[in-house]
Amino acid sequence: MAKVDVTIEICGMSGDGTIAAGGILNEAMAAVGFSVLAFDSYPAEIRGFGRCVTHSRIGDREMRALSDKTHVLISLDDKESQSRIPFLAKEAVVLFDNKPPSYVEEGISIAGHVEPDARLFGMPFSDLAAAASGSTRGRNLAALGGFAAIFGVPPEHFHGVILKKFKAKGEKVLDANLKSFDAGYHYASEAFKERERPVLSLPEPEKEGKILISGNEAVARGALDAGLKLYFGYPITPATPIMEFLAKTLPERGGRVVQMEDEIASIGAVLGSFFAGKRAMTATSGPGFALMTELITHGVMSENPAVIVNAQRGGPATGLPSKTEQSDLQAAVFGGPGDSARIVIAPTHVRECYDFTLLSFQLAERYQTPVIVLTDFFLNNRVEKVRIPGASEAQAADWNVYPEESSRGNYERYRITESGISPRAIPGTEGFLFDATGLEHTEKGRPDYSSEIHSKMTEKRHRKIQGALKDLPEPVEFSSGEAMDVGVIAWGSTFGSALEAVLGAQQEGLRVGALKIASLFPYHADKIRAFMKKCKEILIPELNYEGQLANLIGHLHSKDVVRLNRTTGMPMSATLILDKVKAMIRGK
Amino acid sequence: MSEEHFVVIGNGPAGHHAAATLRLEAPSARITLISKEPHGCYRPHLLPKWISGHVREEALYVCPVEEYKAMAIKFRSGQRVVALNPSQRELILDHKEMLRFTGLILAVGGKPRIPEPLRNFRDVLFTLKRLEDARMWKEEMPQVDSVLMMGGDLTSLAVTKALLELGKKVYFMVNEEAFWPLRWSAGLFEEMSQRLRQRGVEVLADQRVRGITRKGDRDYEVQVGPQTVRVGMIGAFFGLMPDVRFLAGSGLRLDRGILVDEYLNTGFHGIYATGDCAQIYHPELRDYWVSVGHDNAVELGRTAALNLVGNTVKAKGAGKCIFEIQGIKVNTSWWTEF
Repeated sequence: MAKVDVTIEICGMSGDGTIAAGGILNEAMAAVGFSVLAFDSYPAEIRGFGRCVTHSRIGDREMRALSDKTHVLISLDDKESQSRIPFLAKEAVVLFDNKPPSYVEEGISIAGHVEPDARLFGMPFSDLAAAASGSTRGRNLAALGGFAAIFGVPPEHFHGVILKKFKAKGEKVLDANLKSFDAGYHYASEAFKERERPVLSLPEPEKEGKILISGNEAVARGALDAGLKLYFGYPITPATPIMEFLAKTLPERGGRVVQMEDEIASIGAVLGSFFAGKRAMTATSGPGFALMTELITHGVMSENPAVIVNAQRGGPATGLPSKTEQSDLQAAVFGGPGDSARIVIAPTHVRECYDFTLLSFQLAERYQTPVIVLTDFFLNNRVEKVRIPGASEAQAADWNVYPEESSRGNYERYRITESGISPRAIPGTEGFLFDATGLEHTEKGRPDYSSEIHSKMTEKRHRKIQGALKDLPEPVEFSSGEAMDVGVIAWGSTFGSALEAVLGAQQEGLRVGALKIASLFPYHADKIRAFMKKCKEILIPELNYEGQLANLIGHLHSKDVVRLNRTTGMPMSATLILDKVKAMIRGK
Repeated sequence: MSEEHFVVIGNGPAGHHAAATLRLEAPSARITLISKEPHGCYRPHLLPKWISGHVREEALYVCPVEEYKAMAIKFRSGQRVVALNPSQRELILDHKEMLRFTGLILAVGGKPRIPEPLRNFRDVLFTLKRLEDARMWKEEMPQVDSVLMMGGDLTSLAVTKALLELGKKVYFMVNEEAFWPLRWSAGLFEEMSQRLRQRGVEVLADQRVRGITRKGDRDYEVQVGPQTVRVGMIGAFFGLMPDVRFLAGSGLRLDRGILVDEYLNTGFHGIYATGDCAQIYHPELRDYWVSVGHDNAVELGRTAALNLVGNTVKAKGAGKCIFEIQGIKVNTSWWTEF
C-alpha cells in the first residue's frame, strides 16, 4: 500500500459546523482503517465569534504529532480560511464554496489568495445542501461529501458516522444531514474528472479493535477502569469533557458525578472520599488548579490520596482558555506552601492518558498522596485511534497499604517506616482510630510542632515520594544507544513532536536521540543523567516561556541544556525542533 | 503600486508573454494572470515530443510557478472567467468573484474542434491541446499498439511522428480537411500521402468515418469508407476553435474568434485579444486572419501588451505565411518537421 500521510484542515467561523464536520471526518477516516491524530482549535466564546479550525492527520502508520503542512483545506468560510494559506503544502487541495449567496469583490474568495500550485475544487456547498435538505445548514456535510468523492473514500463510512451522530436528534435532522452529504458526494463525483481527483490508497480493514477517542475521554475511561466511585468537579476548559463523559458513564457503574460550587470544594470532596476509602477524582485547568493548591498540600501533610487531572491551557490566570501550553509544571510540582512533595505524571499521547490515569489511583493509594496527572489542551482535545484494553485485575487492584491486625488498639497512622509508607486504616475501622490534620503531627497523628517531629516527618514524606519511582513510568529512550550529538528530552504532548523530529533526523543520518519523561516528580535522575551523558548537547523543547522542565532537570547535565520555548498557544512543531537540532549540530 | 490593474486571461504562450511584457513595460502596475489550466505556462508544441519520451516534463514548462510571484504577477491557476463586462471593466470568475481592471488582454486560446458528424463519438476521441490531454496520451501509450489519426491539423503530424517513434502502427485518414490550416490542394495531398507512406503509415485516402464500435478496453472497430480498421486508440485533430463562448453577450465583436484591429484592440479602450482566440484585421487583405503556432503566439502576446501600455505596434502577419481555410486566413509559423 502506498504511504499515506495527509493533513486535512476544515476552517470556518463559529456556527459553521466546522468542529462537527471535523469530528465526522475523523471518525469516518478511522472507520476506513486509517490512523488518525486530530485536534481542533476554536475561540473561547461559545458561538458567533472567531475562527474554528480542525486539524486531522491521517495515515497508514502511527501518528505522533500534527503536521506543519496541510494537504487538504476545506473552507467553510473563505475569509477565515485565508489565515490557513501559509500552512498549505505544495499542490494542496483546496475545497471551497464556489457559489456564495452573492457576487463577491476581489479578495473575498479564497481562490484569490492561494498559491498557483494549489488545486482548487469549487463546489456549491450551500446550494447543494439547500436543494437536498431545504436548508443551507448542511453545507458542512455537503463539503464532506465532496471530500469523500474527490479522495475516493467510500460514502458508507461517512453514512455510518452521520447515523451515529444524528440519530438521537430525530429522523428529520438525520435525513437532512445524510442528504446534504450525498448531494456533495454526487456533485463532486460528476463535476470533477476521475483523473483529476487525488484518490487516497485505502488501508486494510482494521483488525486491532482500535477506537477513536480524545485525551479527555481516555482520562475518563482510565478512571472508570480504575474503579472510580466519585467525581467532583467544576467546569473549565479544557477539562470539562472529562466530567461530561463521566456524567453519562459513571452512574452506570454505580458511581456519582457531582458538580461542586468551585474547585476548592471539588478537591476537598476528593480528599474526603479517598479518606473514606472511595476512589475519587477531579479535573481542572490552571485557574482551578491554583484554587486547589492549599488543599493539595493538605493532602500531602495528612497523607491523603487524591487524583487531580490538570489539563493545562495558556496562562497565567484565566489566560488563554482554548489554547495549549505546558506552563503549569512548576505549579504542579512545587505549587503550595511548605515542602509539599507529591507525584506528578504527564502522559504524552492519548493511550497514556488512559494508562496513567488508571495508574494514578493506585499510586495515590499506595503512596497516600495527591497524584497530579498533568495533561495539556492539545492532549486533552486531540483524538487518536488507539486500543483501550481495559484494566486487568492487577491494574484495578486496591493498592492501599492496610495496617496489620496486630496494631489494632495501638494504631499509629503516621508510623515512620523505612519506605515512608505508613499503613492506612479507613476511618470507621474499629480499633484504628487516628487524627488527620494539616498540622504537623506525631506518628499517632496528634499535632506537634517540635523540631524533631517536623524534621522526621518531612524526611519521611519525601522518602515515601522518592520511593514511588519504582512504580512510576521510567524514561523511554529512542536512540541507537551510542553517543549522540544532540539528545532531545521532552514531556507531555510536545514529546510526539520531539520524537517525530528525532526520527526524521535519524533518517538523515544524524546522531540524535530522544528521551521521553513521563514521571515529572519524582523523576528518574539516574536514567536521565545516563542519557545526558551520551549526548554532547541536550535540547529541551517546551510549550512555555520559562523552560520549566529545563529548570527542573537541567542541573543533571554537565553543561547548560539548550531550551526551545514557544508560547503560541499551538502545539509544538516537529519541524521547528528538527531545525533546531540541525542548527545545534552545525554549531549555531 | 499604481492604480493600474492589468488582467491577462489565458496562460498559453500568448498570455504568458503578454503578462511578462506588461511587467517589464509597467513596473508599478498590478498584474493578474488567470488560467483555467491548473499549472504554469508550458510549451504546447513540445507535447508530442513529451509523449514520445524525447522531452522531460520539466522541459515543457516555460517557468516554475514560483516565478510569477518573483515577477509580482498574481497568477490564478485553475480558475475560469465566465463573464466580461467591458464597459464596466469588470470580469466575473466561475466562483462568483468580481475582478475590476484598467486593462485587459484576452489570450484564451482555442479548444479542439470536433466536426459535427463525429461529435457522437467524442467520448472515444483523443485530442491534444492541453497538458492533461498529453498526459492521457502518455498513459495510454504502453497499452496501445495501433492508433487511427483522424483530421490532420499540424499537431496530428507531430503526434504521428511521436507514435512512429514509439513503434505504434498508425492509420492516417487523409482528405481535404487533413492539412488544416494549410490550403488543400491535390499536389499537397499527394506529397503528404507519399511522405506518410514512406514512414510506414497506412494512409486511408479520401475516406470518412462511418461508425466506431467499442469492442473492449482500448479496442475499437472503425468503419472507414469500405474498410474496417481495428485500433486501440483514435486521435482527432481538426484544429482549434477559439474558446470565446463566455464572451457571448459581452459586447465584444465575435466571429469565430474575437475580432480585433491590426493593433489587437477589440474596439473597447484598453481591451485587447491575442493569440489563437483573435481574428486580426489585415488592412492589405481587407480581411481577418488568425494565427496558429507557438512563435506567432509569443509575438502576438507581446504586441498586445505593448499596445495596452500605450504603444502602437501592428500585429505581424507575413503575407506568404497566410493560408485560407474555410474562408478564414490563417498564419502559421510551424508547418515544419514532418
